[in-house]
Amino acid sequence: MSSHTNGGSPIAYPQRYDTIPTAILSQVEQQDRWLKSSESKVLSNFFSSGAKRLEIVATLTQNANAIVSAAADRIFHNGSPMVYLEQPPNRENLPGYTVPPRKAAVRRQETLKLQTPSYGNPLRGLSEFLKTQLSDDRDPLPGGFRSINIARYGSVRMKRSMRDLAWFLRYVTYAIASGDSSILIVNVQGLRGVIPEDVTEATVVSMREMRWRSLQYFKKDAEAIAIIQEPFDAMITAYLAEKPPIRLRQGISNDQQGLVLPESYAIAASVRPKFVMKPHLAETEKQAVIKAAYRQVFERDVTREYGVSLAELESKFRSGEFSTKEFIRQLGKSRLYRDLFYAPFVISRVIELATRHFLGRGLSSPEEFQGYFEVISKGGLPALLDTLVDSQEYSDYFGEETVPYLRGLGLEAQECRNWGAQFNLFKFSAPVHKVPQFVTLFGEYQKPLPNQHPYGAGNDPLEIQFGAIFPHKDRDSDDHPAFFDRDSRRILISCEPSNGNGSHNEVTWGKVPGSLEHRILRLNSPVRSGGSGEKSSQGVSVNLLRYSPDAVVLGVYRQIFGREVFTDQRLTMTEVKVKSGEITVREFIRQLAKSPLFRGMYWDSLYVTKAIEYIHRRLLGRPTYGRQEMGRYYDLCARQGFYALIDAIIDSSEYIETFGEDTVPYERYVTPRGLEMRVRGHVNGSGNPLDGDRVYEGTWMKAALQRVNLDRRNAQLSFHNGKSGTLGVRVLETIDQHLVQPNSHGAEQAAYAEANPSEPYQTETGVPS
Amino acid sequence: MSLVTELILNADSEARYPAPKEIRIFQDFLKTGEQRIRIAQTLAENEQRIVQNGSARFWERCPVTPSNSGNPRKTASCQRDQGWYIRLVAYSVLAGSEKPLAEIGTLGIKEMYNSLEIPLRNLVEAMRCIKDEAVSLFSAEDATEVAPYFDYIIRALS
Repeated sequence: MSSHTNGGSPIAYPQRYDTIPTAILSQVEQQDRWLKSSESKVLSNFFSSGAKRLEIVATLTQNANAIVSAAADRIFHNGSPMVYLEQPPNRENLPGYTVPPRKAAVRRQETLKLQTPSYGNPLRGLSEFLKTQLSDDRDPLPGGFRSINIARYGSVRMKRSMRDLAWFLRYVTYAIASGDSSILIVNVQGLRGVIPEDVTEATVVSMREMRWRSLQYFKKDAEAIAIIQEPFDAMITAYLAEKPPIRLRQGISNDQQGLVLPESYAIAASVRPKFVMKPHLAETEKQAVIKAAYRQVFERDVTREYGVSLAELESKFRSGEFSTKEFIRQLGKSRLYRDLFYAPFVISRVIELATRHFLGRGLSSPEEFQGYFEVISKGGLPALLDTLVDSQEYSDYFGEETVPYLRGLGLEAQECRNWGAQFNLFKFSAPVHKVPQFVTLFGEYQKPLPNQHPYGAGNDPLEIQFGAIFPHKDRDSDDHPAFFDRDSRRILISCEPSNGNGSHNEVTWGKVPGSLEHRILRLNSPVRSGGSGEKSSQGVSVNLLRYSPDAVVLGVYRQIFGREVFTDQRLTMTEVKVKSGEITVREFIRQLAKSPLFRGMYWDSLYVTKAIEYIHRRLLGRPTYGRQEMGRYYDLCARQGFYALIDAIIDSSEYIETFGEDTVPYERYVTPRGLEMRVRGHVNGSGNPLDGDRVYEGTWMKAALQRVNLDRRNAQLSFHNGKSGTLGVRVLETIDQHLVQPNSHGAEQAAYAEANPSEPYQTETGVPS
Repeated sequence: MSLVTELILNADSEARYPAPKEIRIFQDFLKTGEQRIRIAQTLAENEQRIVQNGSARFWERCPVTPSNSGNPRKTASCQRDQGWYIRLVAYSVLAGSEKPLAEIGTLGIKEMYNSLEIPLRNLVEAMRCIKDEAVSLFSAEDATEVAPYFDYIIRALS
């Protein structure tokens, strides 16, 4: 089954440019009709002139280097510009791969030609030089034009200009092949903003030179000259034109936010005609307008099927008694519309379909929906239709006489939300979806799903990638993207060993069976502060067994690097200092984090989001909350760099409050996805973390959930405000556990003993068993 | 999307001039241009006939079906759809690619007919009849251009 069978994907494939066949077909298709004879004539011209076009393309391709070189010589002096032209790699086994039989010989000749300055070959070069200089049909240089000195222009800029010149020629060959210059206009318009303004004149001169040079190959062939000239002229005009203004969505209300419509899409979509009723139109054209209205309101051509019932409306419209707006309104109020789009649906869906038919778009926000819902529940369908047709938006877009059209991709800047639903609504098959799509989507925006992600619910493939957007390769994105903005916060699951209740048999949700990370390692150093030696020596006698300085140092390495590092990677000097109490654990961690090893692991090779995420988890023991927090770190990284980031995290009030000076950081929170991945224990063969059992099917979780059901009254839900005020709310769920499950407990113990043979087993709360 | 568009997109994504092989494909496409237009015109002229004859043949093979239930509206809708698909096939023939057919016609086709409670098996049978009827209009050479697109619809339905 094809990946987009159900049309649920919000991925858009806009039309990027036109060729003659596509341009004709898209018009014909929009009007649901067969080709007119004029159109088939255009097509057949295209087919018959095709051989000629291809011949031209082949010739230009063959002589591409010569043409580009001529253009470059015209605008540069003092050197050989062709040296700077980088050929695209000749990829093997791809369609573009060419293996000419005499490749070696040809290549050598070419390189020779490139190395020597232009006109190096004395005889041929001279004749060519004379021919070039003396030809009278060449475009004159504009007055005051001074060619550019290569040496002063610099090699980087030279490379760029040569690349651009080759690029222009390549697109001209595309345009010639497709018989339509739109690919040039789409790509060249606005280039003046990209290429520096001071070389505009030179660029145009070089384009003209390319045109002249290309024409030289077809001197006597009037047809070919016309074919070549057209795209070059179009390109020069497009280049000279001002950069078109950005197209934005109309309207100022918050409900109508939108993205920018790239000019290229707009141009490519401009062939789709809009239908406007005018009194003096010919009968056939009036018929076309009427059909367009039917297509918009009923989504199909109804005349053949239901002809009779609408004849009266149609004749009033034809005679001019009804304006287009009125006609559309009456169509909506007809019996037929009621049967097709009102009776079979729930009210929410009726509203969604009505916005498609009468405004040409989908719903944009829950507020808008609520407004319409109120109208339809008070006044029924007619009231809703009146509201839509009389709205400001309708008259802004369609006025009195234009037939509404679907304001889809290319016709208007789209909104940045609701893509999936919007595309679904524009499909021909929209009426078969009886379930309201927008309303359910809006509902999901409100729901804090654990795996929410702006590009679709399940599209956060690795939980560590939070903040960066990499669409999943082998899966279609869900068409219910989460509404994820600046203020959204991740929900984190607490896995702290105890969160202050003192009860030692509670379940912490994040506790992973068999994990060792949950003992808090604290260094109690006897010698650090000279005065209190006596006092802390009591602690030492108890604690030395459990937390010897060696164990603490090892624990720090494990937390900071995620593993025990190799002996020669350890910072021995600093270790000595921390063991002797000269520096605190916090200081030790700071130095470790600033070591080249740490920097190499978590900073140098990662993109910044991922680096911040990792470092944050390592040092502070929790994932980041969301964009606001991330934004502050970005700022820090950009302005002050890596070391400032480390300092900021370690000096943060959250760090000091949680870990203080002597505690080794530990993992305090995990993301739901992270928990899910760990609880499952092993990733199955496919490697996709989404396959396989769900979390709650793990035995441990099941047991915990059963206990929840048995003992619901003991379940407590505590809301815990973030340490720094802006960070917001974390939901911590703790459930009392009355029984320790013997099996899992034993297994845990065994695993522990295996890993740490020297130390006695500790339960998670620190009581020796 | 036509064949031309695809070739250019391919070349553009690799930043190169159209390769000789692509130009050859293009040439073949152009050479058959007259033929394509002829086919499209024949389909246009004979749409009604193909639908009528195809339906008759279909009802012979499969008498119990919504379009043969005596409800004129059902018959009209079915025949309208059939005409619609013939038109899309003509577009595809012109473009030399099944993209127009897929984008307008066959994405979600199964879901649509399922939800309209039209038996897919009968629909496939009907398309086969239409295909036979359409192919019989053409010479063997032209038929090879047309038939794959009908097969494409049938595949999408089954």
